[in-house]
Order: sequence, then C-alpha cells, then structure tokens
Amino acid sequence: MNFFYGVNNNLLKSEIQIPIFQNRNLRKSNYKLFKTYPENKKWILKEITSKKINDYFYILQNDDISNNEIFFLAEENIVSIFDENKLKKFNNFTDTSPAYRANFKIYLDQGGFSSYQSDYPYSMVTKKGSILSSISSIANAEADKNFVLIKNIFEDPIEENFRAYLVNYKNKCIEDQFEIKTNYTNCIEINNKLIKPEIFLVTDKYVGVPMYVSKKNNFLSFEHTHPPHEYILSDNKFVKISNLKKEINEIIS
Amino acid sequence: MKSLVKKLANTNIGIFFRNSLKFKPVHLKHFTKNYPISVSDAFLWRTDNGYKTKFKYSDILALFYKIKNSWVEFHFYSKNNDLIKIEKIKNLDLSNELEITSKYLNNLEDYGTFYIYHYSEKTDQLNNQDIISNRCYLGYSQNNNLYSFVHGNTLGRFTNIFSKENISTDIVKTSFFQNHTYTIQKYFNNFDENELFFVNPTSKTIKFNIENEYFKLGPHCSILHKVKSPMISIKSNCLFLRPTIFSYKGKYLDVHHS
Repeated sequence: MNFFYGVNNNLLKSEIQIPIFQNRNLRKSNYKLFKTYPENKKWILKEITSKKINDYFYILQNDDISNNEIFFLAEENIVSIFDENKLKKFNNFTDTSPAYRANFKIYLDQGGFSSYQSDYPYSMVTKKGSILSSISSIANAEADKNFVLIKNIFEDPIEENFRAYLVNYKNKCIEDQFEIKTNYTNCIEINNKLIKPEIFLVTDKYVGVPMYVSKKNNFLSFEHTHPPHEYILSDNKFVKISNLKKEINEIIS
Repeated sequence: MKSLVKKLANTNIGIFFRNSLKFKPVHLKHFTKNYPISVSDAFLWRTDNGYKTKFKYSDILALFYKIKNSWVEFHFYSKNNDLIKIEKIKNLDLSNELEITSKYLNNLEDYGTFYIYHYSEKTDQLNNQDIISNRCYLGYSQNNNLYSFVHGNTLGRFTNIFSKENISTDIVKTSFFQNHTYTIQKYFNNFDENELFFVNPTSKTIKFNIENEYFKLGPHCSILHKVKSPMISIKSNCLFLRPTIFSYKGKYLDVHHS
C-alpha cells in the first residue's frame, strides 16, 4: 500500500495527480481518495470529495495540500476500520509492479516546473532508521538555490523533532545540521559550497524520502534519490549498507 | 516432479512461455553467474534540439566495498545501437559527473543510449555473488538552461567486474505476443508537447502500440516519440517498457521516468 504527499511552503508550490487505476490494468475502480494528518496525537481522517477530474485521476492543487497531510486510496468502509492511533495497511490496491505512483509536481508562479513519479510505501511507515543520501549525486552547484525535501511518514500520529545532518565522509565531521519533524514534508536549504562528493545527508532517528530541488532563473529540477540498497542487488546488500551507515553514524553520535 | 516443473518454469524458455500466456509473468529476471557483476541501466543521452546531458555517478566499489583504484567504462551507442565510443575513466571520486555534448560525441546532434560498467582488479574484496548496479542520475539541459534530473529507469546490460567477460543482457523479459499493457500514471494535460523516450533493453526485437500507432524496435535501439493523448497506454511484448518522459510548457521542461 502506498501513500502520496506534496509540499506547500513559501518557496515551492505543488500539485499531485493521483491515479485510480493500476498501471498494468486500466480499469475503473471504486476506490476513493482520503487524507489523514496527525492532530493531538490522533490520526484525523477526511475524504477528498471534489478533486476527481475523471474516472482515472484525482488532481490536488496547491491549496489542497499541507505538509503534514498524506493521501491514500481506500474503499468506503475505511471510515469504520480506520484506527486513529496507528496507520495500517488498509488494502493492497496500490501494491503493483512497476510501483503504483502519483505524479508529484513542484512549480513556481513564474512558470518553472518539475515532477517525478512518487510514492511512500507502507513498508517504510513502520520503520525507524536513518536516511543516507549523497548530496552531489543530484544537487546542482551551478543552480542559484538547492533544497532537500525530506518526507517522513511514521505509523504513530506524532510530530516529533529529529535531526538531519550534512556529514563530511572524508574529514569525518558534521558540516551542517537541521531540525526536522516526523509526519511532515520538511524543506532544508543546502549551501552550494557543500555540494561536494564527500558530503552525505543523514538522519538520526527516522527514515524518509529525500527529494532534491534545484532552482535557477525560474527553472526547477526535482528528483528523489535512490536508497542505498538500490546500488547492491546481491544478498549481502544489507550488510554492506549497514557497515557504511555504522561508519557515518559514528560521525554524528 | 513438482520441483522439476518449478525449475523448468524458471528457465528462459519457461519464462518466455509464462509471459506469452500471461501465467505468473516475469518482468525482470536476476541472474547468477560465477563472477561479480556490474549492472548498468540503459541511459539516454540527448544532444538534439539544443540538448546536452549530464551524468552523475557514484564510485560504488569505493563506497560500499572500500576498493580503491577501480575504474568505469562508458559505452555510447546511437539510436540504432551502433557503438559510437568507449571511454575509460580512472581516478574516481565518491561522486563523479560527465557532460555529454554534441562535441563530446564527435559533433553528433541526435539521441541514443549509453551504459556504465564498474571494473576492478581487486579480486580478494569481491566474491562471485556480488552484484552492483549504478542507477545514477541524468540531467537534461536544453538551450543551456538548468539541468532537469531523473534517475536510471531500466536495467539494460551487465558484465564481469574483473573485466574478463563479454557484455550480457536480457534482464528484462519478453513475450511471444504483444499482450502486456502498461499505462503511465500521469495525466498529460496542459502541456505544449510531450515526448516519450523508449529504449529496448533486450537482445530481441520488441513491438509496441501507443495511440494506435505501431512500433518495432530492434535490439537495444531507442526512439523518441511525441504523444497527444492525456492518457498513455503502451501495449507491448516487452514486460518492462517504461519510457522517460519529456514534458514542455513555454520555455520550461520537465523530465522524469514513468
């Protein structure tokens, strides 16, 4: 099961196109779009009623999106089975191969736009851990500004602060750090001077999806990074990644 | 008997039959060899219409295996799968980039594919089960504007990290019939133009239909195609045919995988 999300802040606007069909089976479905967000340590559930543009898509505009909201498809009975204390796997409609994705577009009023096909799989929602992402793999030192959006979704309806660090892997030091929070689309600005091969983005307590935004002359670039386990396909991938994470965690601890 | 059937069903012929009959189809098949493997996506380069391409890649062997002095090779192909050039790059940093302009490709203004392979001579730090895959990031810049980045999209070819084998392929599987449909989960509305870039990741000729138009793509060939409909379905005999999308509005460009 996948969740979808956007961003809404004073730097970036967004639009999300959420399909209501499976990518290998273009058939109309009865699934409806719901949103949920944490409030007073409870998940609040609401149905999105007026954003269905045809039989196949919901489109959410910037005003429909908040940083603490997540969206998901479910049948009507969700209202009776929804647990306000914990996110559950409500259905498997979005468990497809290739992955079931929504188009997440960011844009500027001046015209620039960029998107990627996004999702936040339920398997990540139940996990704590850390993000490890190479800054220079995708940030652009020639851009005017670089940002990283970090989306975390955690099963409990909490808004807990945790930290993101820019770590220098060669010098074994922290170059910069930021306070971010759970169940939120966080946005941090990266100093262009830190866009170097040895700089990695890491977090200390929670996992999430890091997405990189570059901006220059009202043009935008927007893409998420691969989790480290995408680089190793053999069975020893978790050992290799765990060893690297251990090394980096020693720098931030 | 049961295990024999299972074994047969997972052979290349067995998978071809399963895919042709749509019985438990196999989209991608991982491979076991008696050597460590470097897998490359089929990456798109563009130098047509004022485009240049930037490729960002990590030194995976240094980062995860602590292997120093490894190197990479880039193999560039035309859209018709003719080899254009091979470039070997040593002295890798943890993260590296390569700019692909028409000048870099012998003044060629066109599009095609390329592959990256990691190589090392440090046989003691790798075992025969190791498989690495550089999914990397590609930036596309038109008229010298900001690069729009997208990651690799289709596993294409692989080889021995010890540089002792030929290049292999066919990670992506095919079917006898054109009976597999993939619908892109994007609504192509409100754009001036949309282009889809397809690469055939297999050694077989693939066939596909989009908007009632029929295409035939030779082994490892690539094609750019403009689409008009707000919804795009691709019917194919290839089980993992996901194009890269270029959407245009005014002077602005968005590139992403499907």
